[in-house]
Amino acid sequence: MIGRDAAVGGRRADAQWWAVGGFQRWTVSCLQSRVRLLLRTLRAVIGAPDYDRYLERHAQCHAGSSPLDRKAFYAAFLSWRYEAGPNRCC
Amino acid sequence: MRPILSGLLWAAVAALGAAGFGVMALSRGETISAAWLLVAGVCTYIVAFRFYSRFLAVKVFGLDDRRATPAERINNGRDFVPTNKWVLYGHHFAAIAGAGPLIGPILAAQFGFLPGTLWLVAGVVLGGAVQDFTILFCSLRRDGKSLGQMAKDEVNTVAGYAAMVAILAIMIILLAVLALVVVNALRASPWGLFTIAGTIPIALLMGWWMKSFRPGRVLEASAIGIALLLFALVGGRWVSLDPVWSGWFTWSGPALSWGIIVYGFAASVLPVWMLLSPRDYLSTFLKVGTVLVLGVAILILLPPLRMPAVTRFVDGSGPVFAGKVFPFAFITIACGAISGFHALVASGTTPKMLMRESHARLIGYGGMLTESFVGLMAMIAAATLEPGVYFAMNVSATTLGGTAQSAAHTIAQWGFTLQPGQMETLARQMGETSLLSRTGGAPSLAVGMASILAGVFKGPGLALWYHFAIMFEALFILTTVDAGTRVGRFMLQDLGGHLWKPIGNISSYPSIILTSALVVAGWGYFLYQGVVDPLGGINSLWPLFGIANQLLAAVALCVGTTVLIKMDRARYAWVTLLPLAWLILVTMTAGIQKVFADDPRLGFLSHARSLADSADPNAARMILNDRLDAALALAFMAVVVVVIAASAREWWMVLTRKKAPTVSESPFVETAYAPGD
Repeated sequence: MIGRDAAVGGRRADAQWWAVGGFQRWTVSCLQSRVRLLLRTLRAVIGAPDYDRYLERHAQCHAGSSPLDRKAFYAAFLSWRYEAGPNRCC
Repeated sequence: MRPILSGLLWAAVAALGAAGFGVMALSRGETISAAWLLVAGVCTYIVAFRFYSRFLAVKVFGLDDRRATPAERINNGRDFVPTNKWVLYGHHFAAIAGAGPLIGPILAAQFGFLPGTLWLVAGVVLGGAVQDFTILFCSLRRDGKSLGQMAKDEVNTVAGYAAMVAILAIMIILLAVLALVVVNALRASPWGLFTIAGTIPIALLMGWWMKSFRPGRVLEASAIGIALLLFALVGGRWVSLDPVWSGWFTWSGPALSWGIIVYGFAASVLPVWMLLSPRDYLSTFLKVGTVLVLGVAILILLPPLRMPAVTRFVDGSGPVFAGKVFPFAFITIACGAISGFHALVASGTTPKMLMRESHARLIGYGGMLTESFVGLMAMIAAATLEPGVYFAMNVSATTLGGTAQSAAHTIAQWGFTLQPGQMETLARQMGETSLLSRTGGAPSLAVGMASILAGVFKGPGLALWYHFAIMFEALFILTTVDAGTRVGRFMLQDLGGHLWKPIGNISSYPSIILTSALVVAGWGYFLYQGVVDPLGGINSLWPLFGIANQLLAAVALCVGTTVLIKMDRARYAWVTLLPLAWLILVTMTAGIQKVFADDPRLGFLSHARSLADSADPNAARMILNDRLDAALALAFMAVVVVVIAASAREWWMVLTRKKAPTVSESPFVETAYAPGD
């Protein structure tokens, strides 16, 4: 069951931004979530850190401990992104 | 009924693609539309993706969606993150796409557009995309291990170290040649230099924004950065027109190369948040955006291809670079058809983000098809130029004589025409002082892109589009230089750590400064020599880079073949052996010709000999460079021979059952995702 929840958590971030709440609904809250998901998609494509996603994930897996703050998360993110090996090509 | 319909549809796509190739091959003398090139390429991609990549996924690799991927199992919220298939496709494409597929086809256009186009299309479906997909698959089944590590585990330790040394050496040549492209594009171009110099304060501002002011808000900072960058682009025109400012931003080649060397060192030593990461985001946005816009513009405009399908220079007498169409068209096209460097990304960040095994097909194979499409766009941009203009821009001043008149005379001897005043008019339209002998490929690509973009988006005019294109190329080349220097530094620290422990400490400042200086000195040396080389440097460095990159691809294919044989899939090993055999044939022929050919334009050693009695004060230095280039080419070939021999021995042992076919895959864990997710 834990695995199932993680899968659902992983997939929420991948819901399609253009289809939140169905195509017909254009309420304010619906628009907001569309924009949020669009930004999330953009972040994922360019490889930018996603703090909200980190918080969600942290709440799922390490519920007891306190998460990193934004600044510390960004620093940690940079160190793994640029020390892991080539992430750019010719 | 449906199978018949689908069969007919696929037959129609295949026939359309064949018609595209037919029109290109049979055009003699008349101008054809770029549409035919696109039709031939895209239909081939679609058919190859539908049938060949499916065969690879199902039969050869046996991708299994019930097997949990490393992203799902490890899911640490940092590098191991299950990611939507299309998002990861974009991410992977942004990582593999660089200057290579843009510059290679421009240079290879000296043979006409046909040889390069054929190799871009055939090479990618049978070679490049297979390599990327295979390595992605291998790394996916090994928790995202790197290519060097897999060479060590699957082949043997010697092959592992050989691969690591090869990667480092290729990095050095790659960075030198890319930096040379930037120097040649910005030389005596105040507008271009102002815009690119502007990216440094913009990056510092973005870095501060993301680190301290609004931590981690990359999208905000990028939006501000892009707005400021466009401002710098427009401001560049004013700078180029002002006599005082334009003087400050008019730099010579050697001065620019020193600038880039200092900058590369700074970017490697300073913390990433300051320069490297902001520029990385800026260039990713610009890259993806520009590629999309250019693709749309080409589709709308469908420009005519003015370059002949095949030129007389297939015989090896080409003035842009020496060598016959075989093997040098295949070497020069480089990354658009097959690129060993992609194996590093396909065994780096991407395998750690796959949500499902089956997604590897779209991301590995499909991502590389997209890169080849970018190569086709560059080929179209080059072929839309008048052949006379193309050669006037891409041939060194030594050959053309340095004036418009002498250039027109030389080009007329090759059978192409350059109208009097044509180059001056073009330079004025593009906002440059001169476009004669602007070697390196970037200025020609920018002229081609500017005419295509200005043809569709009427507004801003040629000069602005030209400098936009220059900015786009220079920015992401410099990002590769920054990131590459840093990665080279880590590799050197890793290798050096085996010799002396303190060097391996990646956060020790003395070690950082020492290894950064070594990496920068390595590429900086080749860059500087390329800049002062009277033949323009690209002439010798680009083929060296092409050979090195394809030899790295040979290493990757050796590893892939070894894995397939150990998985007991030897009957399918031809999928990697076929491109491997071709690469060995091409790169070894090219390597031996570059070193030993009697023609001094082609062979490094004969060029050195031809300078032996020269009175030129630079002769001694040029002889040393020739010998160094020759030694480097031989060293690349030797390293690859070692890897091939080690792999062949392993294949023999496994096939003759002297060794058990054990695979070192991570154990099977069943996925928690529901089917069809």
